[in-house]
Amino acid sequence: MIQKAKELLLNPWFQLCLTVLLVTTSELFLKRGAVEAPRLPAGVNWTGVSGLASANVWYGILFVIASFISWLYVLRFIPLTIAYPLSNFVHVLIPLSSWFFLDEIISTRRWCGIALVLIGVLIVAKPVARMEEKL
Amino acid sequence: MTLISALLIFVALILYILGQLFLKHAMESDLRSRRFTKFLVAGLVAMTISFFITLGLLQHFDLSYLYPFQGLSVVIISILAAVILREKLTPRLFLGAALISGGVVLVSLS
Repeated sequence: MIQKAKELLLNPWFQLCLTVLLVTTSELFLKRGAVEAPRLPAGVNWTGVSGLASANVWYGILFVIASFISWLYVLRFIPLTIAYPLSNFVHVLIPLSSWFFLDEIISTRRWCGIALVLIGVLIVAKPVARMEEKL
Repeated sequence: MTLISALLIFVALILYILGQLFLKHAMESDLRSRRFTKFLVAGLVAMTISFFITLGLLQHFDLSYLYPFQGLSVVIISILAAVILREKLTPRLFLGAALISGGVVLVSLS
């Protein structure tokens, strides 16, 4: 059981999925934190530094760091021409989760863009999946 | 858009792309070698500068205006990874990258 879990954790493709999930989670926390952050006077407001007062922003930062570490692990094993396009799955997952969790509205054109990203990701992923089966 | 902001958008994009290439190069080396440390630091520095330039640009432009440039990074990174890091870029991978770039641009236009 522990052996299985360890194998999974060391699998770069699993880590790539993890990167995407961690990035998405971090964005949701950061958005929540940014909204509840106190508004500072206009002169100093632009840096977003007041967001540090929100616990959600700190959760977001932790998830950003975690996603960066798993991304570095991915880079060790998967070519950039495959890993980077696949990591763009966040452009599908973030809009979907902001629609689901944050009640944001997505326009038709945006849905089309999301679909296009999804098709691109699938085109990159398919030969990879076949390659993995052979291994 | 002034010449300077166009230049800043370009520099931020290039630094982000270079950052990814540096990090990839670092992670392919022996983790105790000097090459690893050098390229990891170079990657982190490039990405940090790019981050702060983007933050500055966001004060003057909408996110939806700046985001398409970020979308282009998919195609550019794929090409540069093939040219500089000698990775294999099949027509299929290129098509996928192009569609993703197009999709990101479309998402940010709406």
